[in-house]
Amino acid sequence: MITPPFIPQRKGTPKFTVSKSAVVAAAIGLLCATSAGRAEEKVNLGVSIPAATHSFTAGIVFWANEAKKDLEKAHPGLKVTVKTAGSAPEQANQLQDLLTVTKINTLVIFPFESASLTKPVAQLKNKGVYVTVVDRGLTDTSAQDAYVSGDNTAFGKVAAEYLAKALNGKGNIVVLRGIPTTLDNERMDAFNAVMKNYPDIKILDAKHGNWNRDDAFKVMQDYLTRFKNIDGVWAADDDMAVGVLKAIEQAKRDDIKIVFGGAGAKGAIKTLIDGSNPLIQANVSYSPKFMYDAIKLTAEARLKGEKLPDQVIIPSVLITKENAKEFYFPDSPF
Amino acid sequence: MQREPIKQELTEAPKQDTAWTVATRSLARLHGIGPVVGLVLLCVAGTLLNPDFATFDNAMNVLTRTAFIGIIAVGMCFVIISGGIDLSVGSMAALIAGCVILLMNRLGLAGLSPVAAVIFGMAFALMLGALFGLAHGLLITRGRIEPFIVTLGTLGIFRAYLTYFAEGGAITLDNVLSDVYSPVYYGSLIAIPIPVFVFAVVSVTGGLILNRTAYGRYVQAIGSNEQVARYAAVDVDRIKVITYMLLGTCVGVATLLYVPRLGSASPSTGLLWELEAIAAVIVGGTALKGGHGSITGTVIGAILLSVISNILNLTNIISVYLNAAVQGFVIIVVAFLQRKRK
Amino acid sequence: MSVAVEFHEIVKFFGPVRVLHGVSFALEPGHVYGLLGENGAGKSTLMKILAGYEALSGGELRINGRAVHFSGSRAAEAEGIVLIHQEFNLADDLTIAQNIFLGHEKRRGLLLDDDTMRNEAAVVLEQVGLKAHPDTPVRNLIVAEKQLVEIAKALARKARLLIMDEPTATLTPGETERLFKLIAQLNASGVTIVYISHKLDEVERITSEVIVMRDGRFVAREFTRNVTRHQMANLMVGRELSDLFPSKKTAAGESEQEPLLRVQKLTVPGWAHDVSFEVRSGEIFGFAGLVGAGRTELFEGLLGLREHHAERIELSGRAVRFRNPREAADQGLTYLSEDRKGKGLHVAFGLRENLTLMALKRYARPWLNPKGEQQALRTAVKTFGIRTGSLDIRASSLSGGNQQKLALAKVLHPDPRVVVLDEPTRGVDVGAKRDIYFLIQKIANEGRGVIVISSELIELIGLCDRVAVMRAGRLQATLDAEHLSEEALIAHATGTHQTGTH
Repeated sequence: MITPPFIPQRKGTPKFTVSKSAVVAAAIGLLCATSAGRAEEKVNLGVSIPAATHSFTAGIVFWANEAKKDLEKAHPGLKVTVKTAGSAPEQANQLQDLLTVTKINTLVIFPFESASLTKPVAQLKNKGVYVTVVDRGLTDTSAQDAYVSGDNTAFGKVAAEYLAKALNGKGNIVVLRGIPTTLDNERMDAFNAVMKNYPDIKILDAKHGNWNRDDAFKVMQDYLTRFKNIDGVWAADDDMAVGVLKAIEQAKRDDIKIVFGGAGAKGAIKTLIDGSNPLIQANVSYSPKFMYDAIKLTAEARLKGEKLPDQVIIPSVLITKENAKEFYFPDSPF
Repeated sequence: MQREPIKQELTEAPKQDTAWTVATRSLARLHGIGPVVGLVLLCVAGTLLNPDFATFDNAMNVLTRTAFIGIIAVGMCFVIISGGIDLSVGSMAALIAGCVILLMNRLGLAGLSPVAAVIFGMAFALMLGALFGLAHGLLITRGRIEPFIVTLGTLGIFRAYLTYFAEGGAITLDNVLSDVYSPVYYGSLIAIPIPVFVFAVVSVTGGLILNRTAYGRYVQAIGSNEQVARYAAVDVDRIKVITYMLLGTCVGVATLLYVPRLGSASPSTGLLWELEAIAAVIVGGTALKGGHGSITGTVIGAILLSVISNILNLTNIISVYLNAAVQGFVIIVVAFLQRKRK
Repeated sequence: MSVAVEFHEIVKFFGPVRVLHGVSFALEPGHVYGLLGENGAGKSTLMKILAGYEALSGGELRINGRAVHFSGSRAAEAEGIVLIHQEFNLADDLTIAQNIFLGHEKRRGLLLDDDTMRNEAAVVLEQVGLKAHPDTPVRNLIVAEKQLVEIAKALARKARLLIMDEPTATLTPGETERLFKLIAQLNASGVTIVYISHKLDEVERITSEVIVMRDGRFVAREFTRNVTRHQMANLMVGRELSDLFPSKKTAAGESEQEPLLRVQKLTVPGWAHDVSFEVRSGEIFGFAGLVGAGRTELFEGLLGLREHHAERIELSGRAVRFRNPREAADQGLTYLSEDRKGKGLHVAFGLRENLTLMALKRYARPWLNPKGEQQALRTAVKTFGIRTGSLDIRASSLSGGNQQKLALAKVLHPDPRVVVLDEPTRGVDVGAKRDIYFLIQKIANEGRGVIVISSELIELIGLCDRVAVMRAGRLQATLDAEHLSEEALIAHATGTHQTGTH
């Protein structure tokens, strides 16, 4: 199943894992050192993330709390404070509180919006707080020390390449897009870039389903009315895939051979493991678990007094039935 | 004898001012049928843009997906005519959906037959809707809080509780139950999908209640002038409470149809349904300040709104980024067609 | 600067209906004119054109010989023409001073000059004799006081021609006296007054010349000293006006009957204290008193619209207690509010919906029966003499008098044992008044108890079998037909009556 274009990502994962274990090992070493007399040098780490309003952000919250649990247990010198916010202004206020009340010296933030949070984050950095930004980069990169993100390009690319391969480079595809954002554009652009190499694959249309099951259902219903022959669907999100599958089921259409979701939500991975829907054959990871990784990397680097690389990209990788178990976290809401 | 001159005026005036009168009359006629004109124009445009628009299957698709908003809009129509508003219906639908799925799953696990579990769940949905409506009604009448504020409050409360129950993710109906339940959305009677049937029944019943019962008359009387109604021995508080319960029950019915569609409820379920329902009511010619309104108009308004997005999905003429703008333009144009002369 | 007005062939259309048919007459500066006419005669419309509230459809309005087209009331005010509306034009939530200067605020730089406005407001309030602080919110004023604020507002705008539409409809005799003095004073300082009123005695007293309109046309003008009240009424109605009131029945034997309604020590906190009275079958029982004496509030309490307590209330011999008008109606007591548009009728509703609202259960089994309702409307239109071209119009399309007849039909539709009519002829023309008096007599003759609350003493004296007089929330006296006189009623209402009598 694994085709050459995927190799870089496949390579990326082990590399990343290795680096992580190295960090952990180093941290353990540091732990010994601190107990030897440098206990005052504590890391007070604040985590600022969006509140759980849909399953992806719920996953972010879950993984942030998991990280707090695991890391505080492993490192007595570490204190993690997790704050959720319902909107960008609320998040900005929260940053103030984290600095003045909680007195953090390290911040891991998943910003609501890039532009409106750049200034508030920059203020914290000027006060000497070490800042790791997750997923959405700030408009002024000097306001951040490190940037940890998912791989939106690979998200679109992996899907496109898998679909092209599955359809043998020929057929009609419809696309559902998310909420209009730069993130969505990056994925779409990457998808289109791959598809350029397959002139026999026709992208019939790409409309916004807003990462929402109900909207995706309606959009897919209308695609089915409009196009009598569809070979593949890039639903671009596991929630949207749920709506898409229901619409196909209702229309009793058998021309569609594959539906490709994305992000590796719990339910979708389960379907993949069980093989319960022949249309679902693969997925691409874009797990909120990168929140866990970002906190862990930051905390451990700081405990050691080290810096993170400017940019860490948590790669999006292809998930198939074979490796699906590695991506299945039954306790996470996502 | 005294009043005769006035009769003369009535007959003589049009002679003098024919053009003006004709213009006003056609405007007045247009006012009542603004939404119909809008819908017909949209359908013609849709057919021209894509012949598939005018197929039976597409029509049924549109009507089926209109059913949720449409049924809620019928209830909303009563609330708005009575001079109230309910902003919470979307969240309420989501919370009811979540609770119903949880209950069904629980009952299923407890060993109840799937059919019984589904029936219990459906009854529970209606009960819950009526109960939420009762709470709104009592807070508004006994508590004397503005409906806008009460329902703005519950808008947040309902959705937060759903998010809490779902732990931010989705609440999913057990597969066995889902199979038993799904015909309620996907099944059809003489080629008409069941949700369309339910929508029709709710609309006709709503129309009868509004126009042909004492309760319906009282609702209009309260919305037109609450004081006059109170002085005219109308039990204003009771009628208002019933109205909010009616809307809650409509939300319950809509949820009954919604749950089997995807078999899940998530924090994004029913998002902005309140605005769509209110828009359907107002586009349909009901005054936001209450007093009078029309169920037929409301139904047409609801269909109109979903036809817009249907046409946009069926064509490629407009940038996807502008979808919402098209809906906005159509709402304003229809409202313009049915505005009243001063 | 004086204002001479000339109406020349003024025509006005409302939709297809022509309400003014080429009206021509002139107003000289410095007079007090009485403008007379039945409701619907077009006098209010004509005055709204003069004051810039309505545009004319044809003809010419000349001010000081110059044709003008007012773009709005401000343009008219610039010429010194101010109209005081029958229904006040005050913002309830603003203070007296803010209302007086509404749209003409004094400024100091960018900011409002509240001190100056407050002081100037105090001056005009003094002129009209209203003892209230300029910072009092208008909401807290009683109706009569709002009227005075309206006049103060006109004075503050330096009116040279002041149009008053039914200014005394809500005033007590004392306040009316003060208004008349004010009018004389204004007139002496050169202000022209146009006085619209149905109260011919007032017109006779204060105007120098009367102008009569009927059905959108000018009918006559005459020096007031040359016409009698009777002639004025005849000119307005266009026919000989027979006696205004029906003849009273003899009261013999009534006192032996069980009363239909017996109220003992009814108290409505803040408004009425320990009020007791009885109403018998077939009796018309009046309630007199100044505005603010607590009459309306007393009955709103009785109906459960206000907090109240009573020793005992009996309706047809049974002890009752009403928590809301619904319960009162169910037991056979209905109430017609003095505030026709605010509490009496759904003006945006059709006639049928208004008529049957209080007895709707009768037509619902469970579906409403529109044919039955329509039949009931036809009967009511006939019985109550409601003049309307079509049965399928809104109540707002009826003239004031016919709206009042419809409201009367509405409160009688549930077939009550006792009916309370609060100011049943307010804002109604002479012809309709007479119709309503005869209707009230008829209702009483059917064996019902009728309670009439009224500020018009002539009406109470002409119509009622007995009249209770209230002052400051207490029932001062109950006068029977023999002792009814304007003097007696005023004496009890104002508290100048020596104790010991009745």
